Amino acid sequence: MDLFISIFTATVIAATPLIFAALGELIVEKSGVLNLGIEGMMLMGAVFGVWAHFSGMPMTLAILIAIVAGALSSLVFGILALTFMANQYAAGLALAIFGGGVSAFIGRGFGSTPVDAVQPIKIPWLSDLPFLGPLLFQFDPLVYLSLILFVAVSWFLYKSKAGLALRAIGESPESAHAVGYPVIMIRYVAVLFGGAMAGLGGAYLSLVYTPLWVENMTAGRGWIALALVVFAAWRPIRVLLGAWLFGGMTILQLQGQAIGLKIPTELLSALPYIATIVVLVLISRNRMAMVLDFPASLAKPFRPSS
Amino acid sequence: MKNFNRRDTLKLGAAAGLTATVPSHVYADTLLKVGAVYVSPVSEIGWTKQHSLGIEAIQSEFGDSVDVTVLDNIYVPQDAERVFRELAAAGNQLIFGTSFSHSTPIQKTAPRFPDVAFEHCSGLVHLDNLGTFEAKYYEGTYVAGITAGHVSKSAKIGFIGGFPIPDIVGPANALLLGAQSVNPDITCSAIFLNSWYDPGKENEATKTLISQGCDVICSMTDTATGVQVAGENDAWSIGYASDMSQFGNGKHLTAFTLNWAPIYVQAAKDVVNGTWKSSTRWLGFNGDVVRMSPFNDSLSADVIAAAEKAMSEIKSGDLHPYAGELKAQDGQVRVQAGSVLPDQEIRGFNWFVEGMIGNLG
Repeated sequence: MDLFISIFTATVIAATPLIFAALGELIVEKSGVLNLGIEGMMLMGAVFGVWAHFSGMPMTLAILIAIVAGALSSLVFGILALTFMANQYAAGLALAIFGGGVSAFIGRGFGSTPVDAVQPIKIPWLSDLPFLGPLLFQFDPLVYLSLILFVAVSWFLYKSKAGLALRAIGESPESAHAVGYPVIMIRYVAVLFGGAMAGLGGAYLSLVYTPLWVENMTAGRGWIALALVVFAAWRPIRVLLGAWLFGGMTILQLQGQAIGLKIPTELLSALPYIATIVVLVLISRNRMAMVLDFPASLAKPFRPSS
Repeated sequence: MKNFNRRDTLKLGAAAGLTATVPSHVYADTLLKVGAVYVSPVSEIGWTKQHSLGIEAIQSEFGDSVDVTVLDNIYVPQDAERVFRELAAAGNQLIFGTSFSHSTPIQKTAPRFPDVAFEHCSGLVHLDNLGTFEAKYYEGTYVAGITAGHVSKSAKIGFIGGFPIPDIVGPANALLLGAQSVNPDITCSAIFLNSWYDPGKENEATKTLISQGCDVICSMTDTATGVQVAGENDAWSIGYASDMSQFGNGKHLTAFTLNWAPIYVQAAKDVVNGTWKSSTRWLGFNGDVVRMSPFNDSLSADVIAAAEKAMSEIKSGDLHPYAGELKAQDGQVRVQAGSVLPDQEIRGFNWFVEGMIGNLG
């Protein structure tokens, strides 16, 4: 039973940075913008979080600074892709590389000091429940935040007027523009939100998860978040499930290795990727729904005609 | 006054370009140009850091007369081959590859530049102008295993490695053998990340091992994550490459650290003197390449004495970590009592000893 609790909690924690980054990217893509720079923005968030923490700021402030750092670095992409209408693929890739380099530069000298990780919270009564306590109520606050943000993003996209406008812009910026929505401005807000979420995901890695700073510490999680959005066919619930599935398969394959499962470790290591893709493709195979969820103007620059 | 037209400007630009590029090929006062390729970013600790200390030792030995080019985070073989070729073409006389992943690229590049001296850490293939050097990590893990055997209450220890290659599999075996020399019932679970560099996954692997009851974690990867996560979860840890005690929350038993500086400096001196020949160096406590970092204060004097005794016996040759009788996972005897595993087989270790839990595919 302890083992089950440990696998479950490790899964949720492993998925949390992916959920943050992927929910952010989902909003960006729903507005019709493709930002490939998640990895770079996560690294910026991770390094600025550690910087703030080492400067003696309280943890909440360090996380806020990471969020701001992620958002500001997304602005680099925003200016290139939205104002100057540069190719979004190229601008995003540039941001991924830029963020990796700049964060490594800022983080010089941070790697030899451990970080005091954000500690799990104690909820009165609930955390002390047998079984359910350690299973559900002993996470760090950011895990609960990831769930709140999931609900908020789903509600925003499908239940709010602003979300409808965002989706309309992602479908047909021309029509949205014609009815008077400020397309470029709304896309800027979406890009900034994506950057902020990626920064939060990065801070989760460096301040809670690992918790230490090393260059390139995201090790590809930004790209996994990007793939999750696509394979989830732009549905928030599938992003959430996909992230948990990926995290869970990662933990299970490690558990499998440690008990000496007779499967080559190389194959086990590939399992999370294979399983996540297969499952998400299977649940997203309805062509009609797929067409409806796909933001039709994705990655196409929009020039407002006056 | 002369009016510059566009063509003049182009000519001037070309001339300036030439003057800027030409002298860089004729370093009058440069004795030696050295290139090094690292597999991961240079951080403050870890495998690549120890290699960068080797390069720094060359720089402090030769001062300004050495010109060093370093490229880090090169682990994809395709990239590595291009990087080695460029370093050789740029006139570096001595080029270091620092990872098992650099094997094929450096072996392909070396024959095309017969006048360049290549040195490959963890390499197995040795050519006319490609030397190899390697540390006897297993001596370090064996001694660390002795301390682990003393502190483990659950009689289960955990090992995390990058890839299931002989240089990782062997030390994992020696860790367990060292622990079993204290308590024959100890087992060791092994996890391979299939990545040299992924702190997040290292964290998950450490937690996985702890959840299965391991109370000593030895992480043979490039970051201090394993040590840090073990410390947070009140498990003992063993560091690798660098002393990682500041991350261990007081639970860092010791680290087997790597000191490549003598090898780097010797190779550089030999190239300068024109006496460099490709050779194979495989050094441990002897040669001062493998060292043990200070043992944890809370270990009793007896435990530390036992570890130090093993160290001096390994040095003198009285103790060999892979001395028989050695059984494989399935109980089959692989090394008879009274004999030791031959060096050739140590370099190609591809099986787990009895008591290891894990799978090598």
